[in-house]
Amino acid sequence: MFNKKMLTAAVVVSASAALAGCDQFFQDASDREVDITQMSPEELAEHLVLESDSFRLDQEVQEGGTGRERMQQDEIQALCSLEGSPDNETAGQVVAAARASYERPDGGVELGDWRRGAELARSGYGYRVGHNNDDHGTREPGANCYACHQMDPAETTYGTIGPSLANYGRERGTDESVLNYVHEVINNPHQYFPCTHMPRFGRNFLTEEQISHVMAYLLHPDSPVNQ
Amino acid sequence: MFKKALLALPVAMAVGVAGTAAQAEWQDPNDVLQKLLEAQPDSKYLHQSEMNIMMMPDNPALYLLDDGEELFYKERGPNNVSLEACDFGKGEGVLEGAYVRLPRYFDDVGKVMDFEQRLVHCMKEIQGFTEDDSAVSQRHGSGSDIMRLTTYIAHQSSGYEWDLPLDHPEEQAMRDAGEVLFFRRGGAMDFNCASCHGQSGKQIRASVLPEMRNSQEWTKAVSWPAHRAGQDNVRSQNHRIRGCLWQMRHAGILPDTPVNTALISYWNDAARGEPAILPDLKR
Repeated sequence: MFNKKMLTAAVVVSASAALAGCDQFFQDASDREVDITQMSPEELAEHLVLESDSFRLDQEVQEGGTGRERMQQDEIQALCSLEGSPDNETAGQVVAAARASYERPDGGVELGDWRRGAELARSGYGYRVGHNNDDHGTREPGANCYACHQMDPAETTYGTIGPSLANYGRERGTDESVLNYVHEVINNPHQYFPCTHMPRFGRNFLTEEQISHVMAYLLHPDSPVNQ
Repeated sequence: MFKKALLALPVAMAVGVAGTAAQAEWQDPNDVLQKLLEAQPDSKYLHQSEMNIMMMPDNPALYLLDDGEELFYKERGPNNVSLEACDFGKGEGVLEGAYVRLPRYFDDVGKVMDFEQRLVHCMKEIQGFTEDDSAVSQRHGSGSDIMRLTTYIAHQSSGYEWDLPLDHPEEQAMRDAGEVLFFRRGGAMDFNCASCHGQSGKQIRASVLPEMRNSQEWTKAVSWPAHRAGQDNVRSQNHRIRGCLWQMRHAGILPDTPVNTALISYWNDAARGEPAILPDLKR
């Protein structure tokens, strides 16, 4: 194994030397020459994201920090960078990481105002950066629920990436165990659905107050979701 | 026509030894689309807009072709030369079938380039434009030189099968890194490309999304330039990448950069063997 690898490397080096100049290389941000054929696909992808000047990594982002911090993966993002469903071991690690970082709000989970929740559920504004930046000073970021879920049965435009949530509250009620569960899912759905594509809304995205409004929209008996 | 077929025979045989022969005949973009619709009568993505299917013969992107052709052959820029000396991979000035064989490795620059990168490279190196000239700095919109040229040049590959080369180790490396990037989760909402393109027939709000593993959906998905009816402008592959990353809440992407190239290498490889619709019309 070791010898074979060395041999391959030697062949590549001599082949590249035979080509004119620095054909095998391109330069990264720090002007070091990098031979991309000597990297694994994963190494090259990391290199391209963080060291090739492809992204505006120095740009400030709405949650604080810069684009670079956004593009550096945390544990759950790294574990879930896969096609299809995670294997059992990965799923276990993801659930454990999600549970370890979850915090229930002080004073317990409460429902807010379902009317405000309805606005948040429809709004896809917020956290976009690059050629055009969302300004949270003029408009609050939304929860974008309808991008992926049906909620109010009367709303005709809704996404289908996530399950339908129509009548979600009518079927479940609003006792403490339901409130706690729904809060856990919105805050960090990987606690129950490892490697789900649903965002972690409790991770620098929505405030606890905003989450309480979205929960009211989902669960309150008067909300159109439950009519 | 018959004579052409006879001539093509030895070529097809020669190619057949090395691998499968890719479709090497131009087809009208609407004909390509119609065949895909017939092949996949149940694809919600391909059939989502009756209006756009009906409009396809009058695709507004076709109006950019004449301007694009004129821009390509006109002597322009500080060096007052045409783009006929630009090599998109099949030789100087050879456009037929070139677009579907990109990205690829170019000896003269020693790296893999995607189409837009190569076009801009030629406009700078051959015609002498600089970053400050609107001819190269303005990348988007039907009124931009870049989109007019892109539409004209891509149209010369309509109906050809996607067939980017992967013989050079850097081509393979960029394609493989593109695959990792496609599944790499990140940003403020933890999305990767597969969040939207991993399942068939799913919607974001009213938009039906193409599935990457369905190559007949995917060839339409990556068939840019396309007129986007909702934006009333012709858009590029690079514009699609920028828009996706923006909506995904990743960091902003910059033009002419290798993340674009790697992703486009993977996109086009995922559509390999399917004919390209150039230009397409999208919602």
